[in-house]
Amino acid sequence: MMTLVAAEWTRLTSTRLWLWGLLAALGSGALIGLAALVGPENFTPPLPGLETEEGTRVLLGLLGFTVFAPALLGTNAVAAEYRHGTITATALFAPRRWTWLAAKLAAYTVAGLAYGLLATAVAGGALLGAAALKGVTLGLPAGTVAVLLGRIALTMAVYTLLGVAVGALLRNQVLALLVVGAYFYMVETALMLVPGVKELYPFLPGGATAALTGFTYLSEAVATQTGTSATALLPAAAGGAVLVAYALVAAAVAVAAPLRRDIAR
Amino acid sequence: MKVEVRGLTKTFGPVAAVTGLSFDVAPGAVTGFLGPNGAGKTTTMRMMLDLVAPGSGTVTYAGRRYSDLARPSAAVGAVLDGAGFHPACTARDHLRIYARMGRHGAARVAEVADLTGVSAFGDRATRTLSTGMRQRLNLATALLGDPGVLLLDEPGNGLDPEGIAWLRGFLRAMAAEGRTVLVSSHVLGEVEHLADHVVVIRDGRLVLDRPMAELYGSAAVVIHSPQAEAFAARLAERGTQVGQPRPGVLRVHGLTTAEIATLAASYGVVLHEITPERPTLEQTFLHLTGGSP
Repeated sequence: MMTLVAAEWTRLTSTRLWLWGLLAALGSGALIGLAALVGPENFTPPLPGLETEEGTRVLLGLLGFTVFAPALLGTNAVAAEYRHGTITATALFAPRRWTWLAAKLAAYTVAGLAYGLLATAVAGGALLGAAALKGVTLGLPAGTVAVLLGRIALTMAVYTLLGVAVGALLRNQVLALLVVGAYFYMVETALMLVPGVKELYPFLPGGATAALTGFTYLSEAVATQTGTSATALLPAAAGGAVLVAYALVAAAVAVAAPLRRDIAR
Repeated sequence: MKVEVRGLTKTFGPVAAVTGLSFDVAPGAVTGFLGPNGAGKTTTMRMMLDLVAPGSGTVTYAGRRYSDLARPSAAVGAVLDGAGFHPACTARDHLRIYARMGRHGAARVAEVADLTGVSAFGDRATRTLSTGMRQRLNLATALLGDPGVLLLDEPGNGLDPEGIAWLRGFLRAMAAEGRTVLVSSHVLGEVEHLADHVVVIRDGRLVLDRPMAELYGSAAVVIHSPQAEAFAARLAERGTQVGQPRPGVLRVHGLTTAEIATLAASYGVVLHEITPERPTLEQTFLHLTGGSP
């Protein structure tokens, strides 16, 4: 199994995909720094400033909102194999198909964690830098910020894993990318608007992510817009557990699904 | 390593792609796997490699299924139509990835690249490779594990005449080393001078499974001679089967051109023309698969 994981790592580093991942991680971290420099008080609509707890949480939540990027990288892991036809050679070299899928899940979870650590490190540094430049202190103690950033990094690893699973299920690269992107940016937000369904929100990936990262701005904004009360999110640990459960189910389905499929191309 | 295909059947919806197909592929020889396009060759080869699940039937390598082999890529190498490469990956990196997957050691990458000529373009991204280069890279990938069995689906596709000649020599050498080689093709000329044995299928069913030498049936030699009648009588005395399609022309069975020329000289018979008559594999094939010659 370790040789298969190593092979996946070679595959990941033999194209520029890792470079794009690196740039995305740096970019999403830098984006938070930029937003901090501009200041939430200058957003439209204006939000509490960097020196308030709410303002700091909004910026961290913004970083949590970029988890789709590592998810897309994960989606690419399997979908690209079908698209480029390397799936045939892969299945020939590892005919017990669950083995290479498990190897991909493992390799990409590590890659997702690296992505998350990099993005959160840059974001953390940028937040502190921006606060220093503006001559204010962050609205949250450094320890709390570090914990929240750590949770976001973990979330990114879990989303990468989810992405791999979606790619394995859908196989069509473009479709898988569209489904993952549309789900996180449209479907889940739309569900929050449906009165009965929104009770489920805490248990959906986005809601669980919000619980884990302490980012409630979105559900509160929807509540304000619709004049209803915000859906209460799960406690952070429970949110994390829900997210991990999604990842495990997705991984199990991803490993099981291709076993019965013919590779006919 | 002997490959045994037994009772292989596959249907895609209402379409029977392969029906009750059984044949052996022997080591130390090249077996041609022939059939027109759509005959079920590719489906059969994919079933042989557990890429496509058969409806029924089995394929075994020295008694074991492909997926049950301890290190499949060290036992069986396959070049399949439709196998691709990541376009941004270099040819050498592609080999490195699969060398790792199969635990074949980094040194094998350079070895198979040299063996197949991939070294000449190893640092190029696969998207820039010609069809012939891609076929060589596919072959190099199949050879990473130094397998005893080689299965090749239409390997001549996209190769120039030089490449086809090279491939033919290469596969003959592989068989001479005792390996088991199965080559599918719908282009019969490709297999005619390569295969020792042929398996022909049509509409997913076995049509023919026999040594190449037998495929041509009784080869004959046609001779033109002003003393045809006298020579025919002499040959008949020896027990040789002789036909006379028209005056001055004989069709002799069971003797080579050299033997006939020698006999003619010893009898003092003048020969004007001596031509081996042999149906091409193309004609035999069309006859067997029901096409018109």
